[in-house]
Amino acid sequence: MQLKTSKPAGHIRDTLATLSLGLIAANAAISPAAAQQSTDNTDATPGEVTLTLPYFEVGSAYLSYAESGGRVRATEPSVDFSYHASNGGVLTLGFQEDSVSGATPNGAAPADVAQSFVTPVQVKTSAATSSGGTGTTTVTTGFGDDTNVSGNGGEGGEGGGGGTTTGGTTTGGTTTGGTTTGSTTTVTVTTASGGSTIISVPSGSGTGGTTAVLGRQYTVPANTLPMDRGFQDQRFAGNIGWSQPLGPLSLAGVTLSYSKEHDYSSISGSASVAKDFNDHNTTLSFAVNYSSATSTPFGGVPTPLTVMNPQWKTVASRKKSDMDLVLGLTEVLTRRWILQANLSYGHSSGYQNDPYRIISQVDGVTGEPVDYLYESRPGSRTRESFYIDNKIDFDWVIPEVALRYYHDNWGISSETADISARFKLYRSLYVLPNVRFYQQSAANFFHYYLVNGQSLPAYASSDIRLGKFTAVTLGAQIGFNVTDNSEIYARAQIYQQTGDAHPAGMIGQLQNQNMFSGIKASWMMVGYTWSFN
Amino acid sequence: MALAMADTHRSGGSDRPASTLARSGADFRYAFHAMATPCEVRVETDDAALAEAAGRAAEAEARRIEQKFSRYREDSVVGRINASRGRAIELDAETAQLIDFAAQCFEMSGGLFDITSGVLRKIWRFDGSDNVPAPEQIKAIQPFVGWQKVTWETPMLTLPVGMEIDLGGLGKEYAVDRALAAVGAATREPALINFGGDLVVSGARKGGGRWKVAIESVDHAGQMAAMIELADGAIATSGDARRFLLKDGVRYCHILDPRSCTPVTGAPRSVTVAAKTCVEAGMFATLSMLQGPRAEAFLKEEGVRAWCIW
Amino acid sequence: MKHRGFVRVRRAARLALALSALALLTSACASIGPKPWEKDLMARKEMSVNPYPLVAAADDHIYFSKEASSGGRGFAGGGCGCN
Repeated sequence: MQLKTSKPAGHIRDTLATLSLGLIAANAAISPAAAQQSTDNTDATPGEVTLTLPYFEVGSAYLSYAESGGRVRATEPSVDFSYHASNGGVLTLGFQEDSVSGATPNGAAPADVAQSFVTPVQVKTSAATSSGGTGTTTVTTGFGDDTNVSGNGGEGGEGGGGGTTTGGTTTGGTTTGGTTTGSTTTVTVTTASGGSTIISVPSGSGTGGTTAVLGRQYTVPANTLPMDRGFQDQRFAGNIGWSQPLGPLSLAGVTLSYSKEHDYSSISGSASVAKDFNDHNTTLSFAVNYSSATSTPFGGVPTPLTVMNPQWKTVASRKKSDMDLVLGLTEVLTRRWILQANLSYGHSSGYQNDPYRIISQVDGVTGEPVDYLYESRPGSRTRESFYIDNKIDFDWVIPEVALRYYHDNWGISSETADISARFKLYRSLYVLPNVRFYQQSAANFFHYYLVNGQSLPAYASSDIRLGKFTAVTLGAQIGFNVTDNSEIYARAQIYQQTGDAHPAGMIGQLQNQNMFSGIKASWMMVGYTWSFN
Repeated sequence: MALAMADTHRSGGSDRPASTLARSGADFRYAFHAMATPCEVRVETDDAALAEAAGRAAEAEARRIEQKFSRYREDSVVGRINASRGRAIELDAETAQLIDFAAQCFEMSGGLFDITSGVLRKIWRFDGSDNVPAPEQIKAIQPFVGWQKVTWETPMLTLPVGMEIDLGGLGKEYAVDRALAAVGAATREPALINFGGDLVVSGARKGGGRWKVAIESVDHAGQMAAMIELADGAIATSGDARRFLLKDGVRYCHILDPRSCTPVTGAPRSVTVAAKTCVEAGMFATLSMLQGPRAEAFLKEEGVRAWCIW
Repeated sequence: MKHRGFVRVRRAARLALALSALALLTSACASIGPKPWEKDLMARKEMSVNPYPLVAAADDHIYFSKEASSGGRGFAGGGCGCN
């Protein structure tokens, strides 16, 4: 049974349009719009109506990040792209690049004497230089800076300055690239990595007796937080995802992500489902993410709680896997109020150490450094968090309050409050100030240092990120629409971590040191978003 | 600013909120409740008094139309027609226009759109239950359905005894269009009239921007809704996910085919149509629903901008 | 279960759903929330849950690399050897 059988297409439409206009225009006042409509009645398209049928969205942003005190600096350009298909499917693509450089605390406690540290280097020796004559040796320090070094120094240990032993005993390290150049050859590295020297360390207790290993040595002055200035890395990350309504599900999606650094790579996949209820005012969602990461530190993977040394370690890489689950509820409570709540669970297993990070072993009376051990973290971590976010539209301002409670089985608990308000200034121009408060407790294996002579704990790290501190962020974002479908914004944030500089129970000279190595950082971001059909 | 509330057919004893006027972005939004649905008038202006005048004009027009054509009021035109007991009645010009329009839609649709099909609601109650009438009931009511049985010689209408007419399938859309005309008489500022999802705009927003209207099609609470952007014309939706019958796994939608006196099956859950006027959009939405599974094909053949939810 | 386009959701699936336990939840909070035609504000970008994904990703990444906690808003900001 068809409505129209032999009539030409669009016949009903034309008739109906005319009838309808006639009906509305009949009697009394005729609106300007209706009058206008009747004049262009020949126009084939009924009004200029567009539904957001297939459309694209593009976002790009540039982030510049810096920590005070000459610590980490980073830049990160990022883009993301999405295609919204007419069947409700969404394809997303994202890409980021990070360039990070600067000094980063190596984990050692400050001391009232200068301290020297030796880490591995890789020497690609061109032919005929093994005797230490003239020639060029390329030294790779592991931070992306291949350096041409004029061979042949001769002077002994620059910057030893009363420091403790450089290197120390090692066993079983293969000496990849560690050419035998004599026990006191020192080569000055002429790079911006600042003050590092390449030294040769005798591998004393080795069976060969006289083999030596090249190492990169850097010295930090007395009463200074020990930092390695050679830190430099670059990261590329990309992701691709697809989601769409599927059967009874409002949305089902998958995402694949990959990230690659010099010494770390990770691949992850996630799947999510969501179901709307109650006129789409309620959404329940569930998502699972699995990731596998490989840490391939420069110099190999050190054995936890062994003495820091320049040997190349036999283990080249270690793996870590993560499983995360998020159960989410989004509720539109009123025309103006939206709430989101997430319950998250995550489990990590495998290698979770920072392979470059050490912890001081100090004298039990004086607090002077004796040795530096590689840190050790448990191979398993289970975390849970609860997150709740509220946003209310008061027309002139949209305040948002997000709270998070986090807990993990390393003994860390944290609370976060993120508060912002979007003020409408003029037309599309807005300003969005924000403040964030954060506090965390310390991991149960967090130690500022270990005491020489005492038995070693199973796990120990002096990474302040695992310690107790509070942090405050202040910032604002400003933006406006360049056109109906595009927006430009700029955002600035300052961030400061605060902790106890002089915790109780410090030994000897450590009582006079600033034991808190938290950061003060600021970052700026500019971005542009654009959607089009 | 409480306004005297006109009596509506579905009072239900609940307290309806008074009309309100509030700033909403660059607009003033005047909201009220009429025709059993929330209604709003948006005017893009900084002048509250102007927006209120426009809103009141629209509300007055909505209430006038509601009272005049409500089938629940004995003193309405429709009430008088339905109480005529076979006698000829002379209709006023506006009512005659509506009846003319409905008659032409009946003809154009081959009898699918029929303002006499309202009596079928006596046996079909769309309350989500499984109360499907017995075949005898359907047979018994058939003689009282069919516009071809009505004598209509403008302005005289003669309705056979036992038959009823119902302009409910037309009234809200008509009110939307008429309300726009009323607003247009009050102000030339850009305006939008939205009566429970059936809406019309006066034209583009200032600066040429489009009106953005969210329709029921929301992917995901809080995520970007399915937005309709319009700079001109009207939108109307037919279908209601909550008004249906469910029996033996068959979902009977609330649109009734007057020829068989049974609900249309296999129709989309809802159809949203864009057109120049709300009446036209609404009629297309209804006609396409009556096509059942062919709804989408029909809309495509007619070259109508429409979105179906199945 | 809506679509801008022309996706058909099988009726059987819808029915199964209506009978599922989740329907209980639906009815429990059916009175909450705006009606479809009142979604105008929620449809705006500034009221979406994550209007600036690149900003959120950058912030999450920074906090992930400087603090012990991660996740909450979404998945932990993993994929980086910075922690």
